[in-house]
Amino acid sequence: MDIFTGLINGFSIALTGTNILFCFLGALIGTAIGVLPGLGPAATIALLLPMTYVIGSPVTAIIMMAGIYYGAMYGGSTTSILLNLPGEAASVVTCIDGYQMAKKGRAGAALGISAIGSFIAGTVAVLGLTFFAPPLAEFALDFGPPEYFALTTLGLLLAVTLSGGSIIKGMIILFVGLLLAMVGLDPISGKIRFTFGSIVLQGGFDFVTLAMGVFGLGEILYNLESTLKTEIVTTKIGKVFPTLKDWADSRWAIFRGSVIGFFIGIIPGGGAVISSLASYAIEKKYSKHPEEFGHGAIQGVAGPESANNAASSSSFIPLLTLGIPGNAAIAMIFAALMIQGITPGPFLVAEHPDLFWGVIASMYIGNAMLLVLNLPMVGLWVQMLRVPYGILAPIIVLFTTVGVYSVQNQVFDIYSMLFFAALGYGMRKLNFDPAPLPLAFVLGPMVERSLRQSLLISGGDLTIFVSRPISGTLVAIFVLLVVGQTAFYIKRKMGGKKTAAI
Amino acid sequence: MTKMRKVTLFAALAMVSILIASGLCFGAEKYPTKPIQVIVPFSAGGSSDLTARTVEKFWTKYSPQPMLIINKPGAGGVLGEEYVVRSKPDGYTLYVGQGSGHDLVMPHLQKMPFDPLKDIAPVARLSIHSIVICVSGKSPIKSMKDLIEYANKGNKITAAVSTAAGSVDLVMRAIAKRANIPITTVPFAGGADSTTALAGGHLVIGGGHPSEVMPHIKAGRFRAIGVALDRRDPTLPNVPTLKEQGINVATWGSVKGVAVPLGTPPEIIEYLSSTLKKVCEDAEFKKAMASISQPIDYLNTKDWTAFMQRAYKDYGDLIKELDIKI
Repeated sequence: MDIFTGLINGFSIALTGTNILFCFLGALIGTAIGVLPGLGPAATIALLLPMTYVIGSPVTAIIMMAGIYYGAMYGGSTTSILLNLPGEAASVVTCIDGYQMAKKGRAGAALGISAIGSFIAGTVAVLGLTFFAPPLAEFALDFGPPEYFALTTLGLLLAVTLSGGSIIKGMIILFVGLLLAMVGLDPISGKIRFTFGSIVLQGGFDFVTLAMGVFGLGEILYNLESTLKTEIVTTKIGKVFPTLKDWADSRWAIFRGSVIGFFIGIIPGGGAVISSLASYAIEKKYSKHPEEFGHGAIQGVAGPESANNAASSSSFIPLLTLGIPGNAAIAMIFAALMIQGITPGPFLVAEHPDLFWGVIASMYIGNAMLLVLNLPMVGLWVQMLRVPYGILAPIIVLFTTVGVYSVQNQVFDIYSMLFFAALGYGMRKLNFDPAPLPLAFVLGPMVERSLRQSLLISGGDLTIFVSRPISGTLVAIFVLLVVGQTAFYIKRKMGGKKTAAI
Repeated sequence: MTKMRKVTLFAALAMVSILIASGLCFGAEKYPTKPIQVIVPFSAGGSSDLTARTVEKFWTKYSPQPMLIINKPGAGGVLGEEYVVRSKPDGYTLYVGQGSGHDLVMPHLQKMPFDPLKDIAPVARLSIHSIVICVSGKSPIKSMKDLIEYANKGNKITAAVSTAAGSVDLVMRAIAKRANIPITTVPFAGGADSTTALAGGHLVIGGGHPSEVMPHIKAGRFRAIGVALDRRDPTLPNVPTLKEQGINVATWGSVKGVAVPLGTPPEIIEYLSSTLKKVCEDAEFKKAMASISQPIDYLNTKDWTAFMQRAYKDYGDLIKELDIKI
């Protein structure tokens, strides 16, 4: 019953004029940046972080940011289907079959099934969030330093290995992030590290400047280079409502995508991108006609698009119950909460029920808004693809610079943002995926602190990590993953033919 | 008629000149003539920020000019204070956050870009917080005596503290030293994190400001076993101080004072100090401060200056005694 009263309370908060407006704004901005290739949800939330100061109410701010995150999942498919360019990272696989469908004149059906799948999965995941998060938050108190260490380390590992790119490059970025996080005060002894005598650096680099530099500016600089040809495959979208056959073909894909997405979203290091990749792989495997994949299979659109939406909602679970951000976009929302003076953790549900339930309730509303924004109004978004980037980019740069200064009123932050912009640009230039960077930056200090705390508690005894049930299980998963990955790698290197047969 | 006109004209002229003269005379004294910027050396949403914003709400009741709050966080408060130290001493830069710890504790541990006693002019104290020592609600320990017995039985005592060399850390180390029991302090990323870990039962003791521990005490997750102040805390009148329990440890958890750049005219300091006094005595202000669990404890300029000097010396002695180095 507690959940229901909470939810009713949440709706009474989410349905106030301001919150509906900001929920709509979030959904609108999310769809827009989802449609626009280049800017992703993490970058957009980073760019909007300084705004949370102005908004004042944490519920309103988080409602908007959550809207941007799951809204981007809706918008991302549009560009993938029509341009064969992912609107954002989680829609990469949607390009494969979505674009093929569009080429065959079935763009409408692809767009329609994406929006409907996204809506169903989004709603399923929010339902999951509603019923799983509160009991999980109680269970979360059992997480002491050893458990945090095991979980955050696992998160770092997954962030690198699951990102899909080169593991070596992912590791490099991970360590760059960890190194950057080390600047400032040592979390246990209070000693000053890597500041080179600078007082400003004693507090460490600011997450907002890092995020805005690497993701916001870095991404914009890189996008300016690529001359995006906005050639839309078809101007005629046609009927967006899928036929009965489309629905019959894709309903199980949507269902499976929702479940896979939900669970991958909960895992730290998981999130929308990985869930869409996993869903595509599973749909292809389970399909009776795997040969259709790559040639416009509707399941290849419905599954991943559902999965990324479910994951974007469920990734709020570790954030709101354990205070652990699982992916880059959630790390930004973590920062937004901290800016508002709210430390996400096991007591968030109990101490800030308005925030917790208000945000959850807003997700139900937001998903409904997004369905309307993305089904009947999809034509409008297609028009937006025609705005030249040369106009958009300078405006964003201006807002970013003013924004980053407004966070702490320090000129130093502008310079450090420029430094991070250069870093972000360089990373993209050299084909490094920057996603693990903010995650390592946020999780790094947690890993270090919890490791040293655990050892302080145990008196230097390492068995503390395996003797406790939760941390022991997590450590076991970690070891299994490392061993499994290594074995897989060696197998592939040694006997290329054998794996090819499988 | 002409005579009458002349008289009126004269009277009018006289009145105008009196007005101008009074304007000129009082112009310099009529401080403040523009909004006063208030520097808070911590992030928005923290206890210093909330205190400053509560003062701001009631300030215009007693002053013609509003306050403008600017957060300048960084380096544990040093950056914000450094900005104030370097600001014009014209009375339009006010600093809320003196006595927060970075100016009382840090100078004994590391080099500072300014002298926190000599380079800034204290104005008044607004509030003072105690540190409450707590155990988990399920713990068998009910008093400091129980804790000492527990330790003497050979049990390891781990203490959740908000930050390394922070006020809670110093109190725990002082207890260890004066009560002669070993305590391992485990620093966390702030008060919210350390109290959560204690609530989970992962450590033996912990502590924090009343605003941090009160929700847990009310919910039965924590039991308060001592207050590290030289008198009982008004928010927890039933909890004895450490001194009452025979442990000679008394400190200030968090002090919130107001300061201005050195060289600010004394009459402006007097104006600020007396206006803040009026704010502190306002009934509605008291209610607003209670709602953020921030006790009001006003001190005027003279007493606050003396307090800062004493606290600075006491912390210096304590740090030397405990041999804390970073």
